Amino acid sequence: MIIRRALPRPGLPAPSQCLRFPRQQRTLATSPGPESDLARHGKVLPTEPPARSQGHRIRPVTADRPFTLKDEFENFQNFRKQSSHTGSRLSRHYAPYKHASRPPSPSDLTLELLMASGAHLGHATALWNPGNQRYIFGIRNGIHIIGLEHTLSHLRRAARVVDRVVEVFGTVLVVGTRAGQERTVVQTAEMMGGYHLFTRWTAGGITNARQILAGEKVVEINDLGEPNPSGPMEDPIPVRPDLVICLNPLENYVLLKECGQFGIPTIGVIDTDADPTWVTYPIPANDDSLRCISLIAGVLGRAGQAGLRRREAEVAEWKLEGEQEDEEAMMEEEEQVEDEQMEIKNWEDFENYMKKREALQDEQLKEINKIQEDLPSTPTLW
Amino acid sequence: MVAGLVSLRHCCRTILGEAFNTRVALPRASFPHPRPLAGARSFTISHVQQARSILDDEGEVNDDWILKTGTGTSGQGPVNIADELTEEDITPTWAEQQFAVRRVPVSASYFTGNATFVDNLLALRALQRKYELLPTIPKDQVPPVKWKTLVEYNALAGKSVSASKFKQLTNILDRLNIIEPTLMPQDVQDVLAWYKRDTQGAVSTQKERTVDEFGRGYGLGRRKTSVARVYVLEGDGQVYINGKTLAEHFERLHDRESAIWPLLVTDRIDKYNVWATVDGGGKTGQAEALTLGVARALMVHEPALKPALRRAGCVTRDHRMVERKKPGHVKARKMPTWVKR
Repeated sequence: MIIRRALPRPGLPAPSQCLRFPRQQRTLATSPGPESDLARHGKVLPTEPPARSQGHRIRPVTADRPFTLKDEFENFQNFRKQSSHTGSRLSRHYAPYKHASRPPSPSDLTLELLMASGAHLGHATALWNPGNQRYIFGIRNGIHIIGLEHTLSHLRRAARVVDRVVEVFGTVLVVGTRAGQERTVVQTAEMMGGYHLFTRWTAGGITNARQILAGEKVVEINDLGEPNPSGPMEDPIPVRPDLVICLNPLENYVLLKECGQFGIPTIGVIDTDADPTWVTYPIPANDDSLRCISLIAGVLGRAGQAGLRRREAEVAEWKLEGEQEDEEAMMEEEEQVEDEQMEIKNWEDFENYMKKREALQDEQLKEINKIQEDLPSTPTLW
Repeated sequence: MVAGLVSLRHCCRTILGEAFNTRVALPRASFPHPRPLAGARSFTISHVQQARSILDDEGEVNDDWILKTGTGTSGQGPVNIADELTEEDITPTWAEQQFAVRRVPVSASYFTGNATFVDNLLALRALQRKYELLPTIPKDQVPPVKWKTLVEYNALAGKSVSASKFKQLTNILDRLNIIEPTLMPQDVQDVLAWYKRDTQGAVSTQKERTVDEFGRGYGLGRRKTSVARVYVLEGDGQVYINGKTLAEHFERLHDRESAIWPLLVTDRIDKYNVWATVDGGGKTGQAEALTLGVARALMVHEPALKPALRRAGCVTRDHRMVERKKPGHVKARKMPTWVKR
């Protein structure tokens, strides 16, 4: 559609003049810019490399050899690397983001840390579920405040459950389907060698798993962690989780119900508006705060990691045991072979001896016969 | 506990294992989910051992090992087990030779129901995070690329994903594709190569338009049902439409202005001559078809004018057409007047 007011008016620069300005590009601050600028600055640029005292060397820029973006980027990286240790350093300060990437272990957990993560903040009092009465500390500004002693003790109990389940080869599923929980969920599952779910739970994933999980690959693994060399199974029976950690039970009622039907224990973060009977091991805490959720998931992940490490140590022990048994079996086999060989040798000796003896006896017999033949015949008396 | 278990295992192996020269599966106390081994058979080790000795004799049927009942041939009299068993039946499977076996999903995304897609998505997101700070090139300098289609991806992944989920993948791919080519890491290159469509030759590259041997730039413009074929060449501002001057062809001033609007807004009215044929439609349609044609022909001469012409509304084809009349309506939308009975 023609836009009539686009006509140039006196006093304003013509569109053709506007075009002279290059389009904004993402470049680094030290970029030499277009060629005209380079020529203008060409005189003042140093022709020799800068002194080493500057820390990083940059080759001289000339009109025929301008910096490419790659050079710029590498220089920038070098500069960052070398200057990263300069300046003042803050120590012993609260950096909440660290709990997401390096979560504390259950034993390092404190009430202060939970409070700093906002774990105590519940929902408006009108929204409460009376099942949470014993976890609630009080009311402030119209919202329920969760007692953090309960949070801490329940979280530690859940951590022990995770630890032990992972140690005995349990399959742990970590579920967090709210926006922003994806990385927390994936990281937690990774720490404990478990499974993650950050998208909607497909209803029937446990009760109708034959249909829902058809075509998903399952492999047989022996006690030493070695997979079946012939690859994944053909048409396997679907695997069920042995423990489900749910970071937002309110949105995952279907999953929790399926777990209940199959007796799969569940751990869930229960806010003041959630029903604590939906899960086996509730953790009363604020499920709307990503910081709180990442802290809780991180603690559970650490617990699972400890269990995983113990399990790996145990498997390594079994492996060693198996190797020793194999060695013993080999030794026994060798001994048996030696015994048999000795036996055969003895038998052969015996046979030779007997042959010799027979031969000797034959000779003696022959001699006796000969002597008897040579004797003069005695006259018969009758 | 462990010592007792070891001795039990050892004893069992001594009794059974060495006789058959395999590891015999026994439950281990600390191993969860004791469940029957996959492919467990109804006959015992001694059956197998005897059958093997029969097979070894080749042809010599041992009368001691004729079973009274056989599979599938019940009532047919005695069946020779050696005829029933093949070498494959006798060889124990991998699972049967193990001490204990458990089933483990291959992917950590197993319970999502579409593990391949989720794994791919996570891998791409990890790449994007890793190289987030690399410099990028402007969008208009990115070489045209076609990713695998949804159908191709589904065929490779083995399960179907929705178009919106597949879009999540291609969005990340597009972001990775604008990394400065000289700084593109090798792992990103490999990933992008995997997702590229096999027939990269099919990418439609827009043909670059240039002036012809007479110095004319050509442009085709349409509006409503009018079609304008326009030649623009450097000159002094003469305009001929269907052999007539602008003023002769268009009576209305507004139409005259519309026809040469691209030259007007870019201040090029005295620098080019226009020679055009226009066909079909009415005067307004013809004038606005000319706008598009002139703009396109002008961009052949000066491609840098495109942003300015776009701001003036000369680059986009106006796709609006006359709306059809519907039954029950007087016109396209007008309804007959309501009459009381």
